[in-house]
Amino acid sequence: MIIIIQAIVILAALGLVVFVLAGRQTHAVLAWKKIALCLLAVAMMVAVLFPESTNHVAHLFGVGRGADLLLYILTLAFIAYVLNNYLREQREKDRLFRLARKVALIEANERYSISKK
Amino acid sequence: MSRAVREDVAIIIPVYNEARVIGTVLKHVLKHFKYVVCVDDGSSDASYDEIAKTKAYVVEHPINMGQGAALQTGLEFSRQLPVNYFVTFDADGQHRIEDVKAMLSEIEAGDHDIILGSRFMGETVGMSGTKRAVLKAAIRFSNATSGLVLTDAHNGLRVFNRVVAEGMQITLPDMGHASEIPEIIAEKQFRYKEVPVTIEYTDYSKAKGQSILNAVNIGFDTLLRKVTR
Repeated sequence: MIIIIQAIVILAALGLVVFVLAGRQTHAVLAWKKIALCLLAVAMMVAVLFPESTNHVAHLFGVGRGADLLLYILTLAFIAYVLNNYLREQREKDRLFRLARKVALIEANERYSISKK
Repeated sequence: MSRAVREDVAIIIPVYNEARVIGTVLKHVLKHFKYVVCVDDGSSDASYDEIAKTKAYVVEHPINMGQGAALQTGLEFSRQLPVNYFVTFDADGQHRIEDVKAMLSEIEAGDHDIILGSRFMGETVGMSGTKRAVLKAAIRFSNATSGLVLTDAHNGLRVFNRVVAEGMQITLPDMGHASEIPEIIAEKQFRYKEVPVTIEYTDYSKAKGQSILNAVNIGFDTLLRKVTR
């Protein structure tokens, strides 16, 4: 049974990486992120109202305890978050650098009175 | 060596906190080339003033953006100059003018679009064993991602024609550009050649050189770009 959860977690981890990396910021992707957030909120409420339910779900996947399952999910969510943030940071940096380069070139061209060809 | 000052070549030098040596390096380069373009990458020392004292052009980044970004800025500025050939050159004085001249005659033969300097084909003075090993690993990685066959990708000395200058768009702002340039060459099918150059590792250039751990960063960013593209 342990094999199943291992396979699921590994596949989910890889899938997340590809999803986050390859995903352009389209409306569909943004919408799915919101849906995932809502599902997570519902799952949280269910888990806190029926503490035993996480154990049942965990057993379904072949995990011993609900707490373990939560830990796996949390880890995956964290990896997705970190990657997402890293990529967003790179995109922001790219935009900032393009702007800064433009400023530098305009200023230099003015100083050397080079007119745009 | 002929003493004539060449007016058909732009020398692009990214500069970041090199106030101590840049004046001497520029004085030397300007003896041979009229168009020298320095990109001051937001230096916090007196680099800008040292460059301004000379006849070299200087483009000033308002913030520090990294060597790849500085090269791209220098490239975009140099395209406006009336030159046929472009050279990227390191600010710390580790490259030799004789090598630049040899590479220029190579490209003037017209069979290649870009000539790359290689430390491993030539003579390298004062390189440590670890640095050599890391660079060897880096070139294997770079060849695998770009599909080119090179012996040294992370060499700052490159000579290219206007076709390459107009087509080159470096997107990795930091040292990752060294792996990105071979990829651009492969993608745009530029005709390339590697020639041996001599690098002198002085204590100054060693202290300024990038940490070998940075190879991890370059590798990560290069692979990430492969997946996201």
